[in-house]
Amino acid sequence: MISRLKNISKEVILTIGPIILIVTILQIIIIKMPWIVFYKFLIGSAMVMMGLTILLQGLKISLLPIGEMIGSALSEKGSVTLLLLLGFVIGFAITIAEPDVLVLSSHIDIVSYGQIDKTILIAMIGIGVGFFILISFLRIILKIPIIYILLGGYLTILILSFFTNRNYIPVGFDAGGVTTGPITVPFIMALGLGFTTVLGGKSKGLESFGLIGLASIGPIITVLILGVIYR
Amino acid sequence: MSEIFIAEDLISLTTEILVALIPIFIIFIIFQIFVFKLSKKSFLDILKGFLLTFVGLILFLHGVQIGFMPAGKIIGQTIGNSPHRWLLIPIGFLLGFVVTVVEPAVRILCSEVEESTNGYIKEKQMLYTLSLGVAAAVSLAMAKIVFDISLVYILIPGYIIAFILAFIAGPKFTSLSFDSGGVATGPMTVTFILSISIGAATIMEGRDAILHGFGLVSIVALAPIIAVLIFGIIFQKKGGDLERRK
Repeated sequence: MISRLKNISKEVILTIGPIILIVTILQIIIIKMPWIVFYKFLIGSAMVMMGLTILLQGLKISLLPIGEMIGSALSEKGSVTLLLLLGFVIGFAITIAEPDVLVLSSHIDIVSYGQIDKTILIAMIGIGVGFFILISFLRIILKIPIIYILLGGYLTILILSFFTNRNYIPVGFDAGGVTTGPITVPFIMALGLGFTTVLGGKSKGLESFGLIGLASIGPIITVLILGVIYR
Repeated sequence: MSEIFIAEDLISLTTEILVALIPIFIIFIIFQIFVFKLSKKSFLDILKGFLLTFVGLILFLHGVQIGFMPAGKIIGQTIGNSPHRWLLIPIGFLLGFVVTVVEPAVRILCSEVEESTNGYIKEKQMLYTLSLGVAAAVSLAMAKIVFDISLVYILIPGYIIAFILAFIAGPKFTSLSFDSGGVATGPMTVTFILSISIGAATIMEGRDAILHGFGLVSIVALAPIIAVLIFGIIFQKKGGDLERRK
């Protein structure tokens, strides 16, 4: 466990170190922000590093094995309706725990002065991912080529963007980008692998590919729909 | 000094994270009772993991709120308010490149591509192409604020290019590329680079904080899609076939 922890913290330092370096250089030569803000940045960075290290370690011994276990449990049960339902529920539950989703939503909450509410936004993003996981499962059952679903999805987005509140367009597209974070990706992959095994495993592997790409269409659509409602 | 360590809303942050983790926790408990039936020891191990995840999330998000978000915003505001606002574009390029080159998920994707093309596409080639792609995408997102370009004018041509390339590259590379769209939008993009973009959009006259500030993540997500597809087309032109993933 100790050596694993070392590996993780090395990864984390490698990720955040360059940002600290660039900000420090910018601070000295051009930005000159109040020193208190800069100190807070340094302390915050230390917290981010510790937090990420602990988070990644925690994921390795909790959510990742759970994802794998659920994936293989799905492959043993074999009821398609149950699988679709579980795909939706689990997709929702895992997305609302994604740190990137939480960060984006609080950005939006702050900038819109609470007009685009954080809780509603997170819920809509979760519903979007859940729904598109369900669609991806259906696609695998019905053997529809992925390009049609992608085209259909993005066409829906294009049409919705004419009717939605224009503030929700950048918000929606960014929501699509953040659903693929450190928690969701491995979890959804495990789920998809379990699901394709249920279907006899003929197209195993390759068909579970594409799940992540489709999952990020869902939130764009649901957030744009939210914008149609709040127009 | 105490205000440095404790955000005003630490309690609401903690509640928020608790609420975020509860649904997946309940799902686990239901599966544990009806399906997994794990031994007490493995069950407690997973509980320990949940606790670590919870604590890690609090530290991470708190650090982001007191450090990354305000610093990013000030950088965006300072440069956006200066006569040299074009500096946002090269700074965006630099940040985009650095953040991607060191991102673990990106390196995993690149070695996956090397493996599935039987080493035809080298991990390093892919890594640098992708990082340059993201760097260009971040610059484009900054240019969008500086020159007041609508997000739609970037995304629509971007996706049209992606779809044309996808039709040429075929289904295997299409799935792989659209899946990889997310790897470049790691935690640093959303927490830090997006803050700079929001800061700049907030301060510049005639710019809307939401309309101009957001959208960066979605532009960045396009870069790996297009990069993987181009590599896929080059690979297939040479007669290669994407090996099936295990």
